[in-house]
Amino acid sequence: MKMNIRKKAAALIAGVTALAAPTLAHHSGAAFDMSAPVVLENAVVTEFLWVNPHPLIKADITDEQGNTQSWTMEMGSTVSSQLVGWTRTALLPGDVVTLYVWPAKSGAPVGRFNKVEFDDGTVLRDSQRGADDGGRSDGGLRQ
Amino acid sequence: MRNMCSGIIVSAASMLLLPALVIAQDDAPRSPWKYYPEEVRANEGPGGPAPVHDITGTWVGESSGGGVKRLIRPETPPPLTELGQRLFDSHIVEGGDVSVSETNDPHYRYCDPFGFPRNMNDQIRSMTIATMPDRTFVMLKFMNIWREIWTDGRELPTTFRGRGPDVHDPTYNGYSVGYWEDDYTFVVKTTGLDPGTWATEWGHPHSIDAVVTERFHRSSQNDLTVTTTMVDPRLYTREVQMGEVYFRWSPRQTFFDFTCVPSTVQRYLEEMADPAGGGDPVP
Repeated sequence: MKMNIRKKAAALIAGVTALAAPTLAHHSGAAFDMSAPVVLENAVVTEFLWVNPHPLIKADITDEQGNTQSWTMEMGSTVSSQLVGWTRTALLPGDVVTLYVWPAKSGAPVGRFNKVEFDDGTVLRDSQRGADDGGRSDGGLRQ
Repeated sequence: MRNMCSGIIVSAASMLLLPALVIAQDDAPRSPWKYYPEEVRANEGPGGPAPVHDITGTWVGESSGGGVKRLIRPETPPPLTELGQRLFDSHIVEGGDVSVSETNDPHYRYCDPFGFPRNMNDQIRSMTIATMPDRTFVMLKFMNIWREIWTDGRELPTTFRGRGPDVHDPTYNGYSVGYWEDDYTFVVKTTGLDPGTWATEWGHPHSIDAVVTERFHRSSQNDLTVTTTMVDPRLYTREVQMGEVYFRWSPRQTFFDFTCVPSTVQRYLEEMADPAGGGDPVP
């Protein structure tokens, strides 16, 4: 129950701040295709690295033929992520979630994290690229 | 689709419930060990006159979440000599169309120390200033480093090459002395900077001969401005305006920890940034 309350509170904060107009991010998005996020449904979190300069989410997705692809995606810094509701245990290995990712232009299975949807409808967003248009979701707070 | 609808409902509800959320946050118990940026934002206005000869305390900057206004950047294009221009052009700055995999910024690639003066114009999160009878410490939360500014009247070293007792090796933060220019302005002069560091995140170079002057001006209880200039005749044709950085008083006097760790940044580069960049990373 505590987890649900915490996640809902985070979603409220994220929902509000997602309405803020995007501003210049500190780090370049040059490597990523910001036209549309890739949606990774039923992604299984394998690792959540709460590290600087950017936390990393690592997750596997498996297609209908049983082929598994491993993705890695970066988020805003730990400090900025904390400001929009993240903690180092917000994602745990084994969590099954839907991940939205701005994919790398290189074609490698890596990208800039956009948001995660939990099965209870809770949404946590990236601070810098978490808005649905790829803009900031932290209300303009600098990373 | 259900999740998308849920998200829309949550976002809409969040707009309606924002006042209640703010009230709930105000009523919630707060830890003295945590930093709450909303407290900085709520602490509006000057907060009273500045105390005389006193900049002691914890201050937060533009990357604190405290709503502190953004810095004024160093002058661009900088007035470079031919050698300065070559060095400036060799610095591939991350940002814009340049990804992390393409930069040769030694901090982004290896967590190398910023060194001074970059550590006073990049990642401006929080600093604590502590005053002792013979020196003042400026302790920067990003990377947990401190600068030592002597106020006992000593002269700055001026020789950083060659052999002999007067030679002082350059260091990341150099050698600093400080004095009060008036009741509210503390002036710091620094020499002996390690030439391997960048002076700014925008790639401004500096040499071992650079002399940097900072003015810490406290205009009120809550406001502190640091204005910096640099003289470096080998690389610049005249004194360079290195910009102005703003700080606000932190009511709780604490801040987040933030350290770049070399082993984790290597993993970040290998597993994320370099594959995203596609090509071979710049060494």
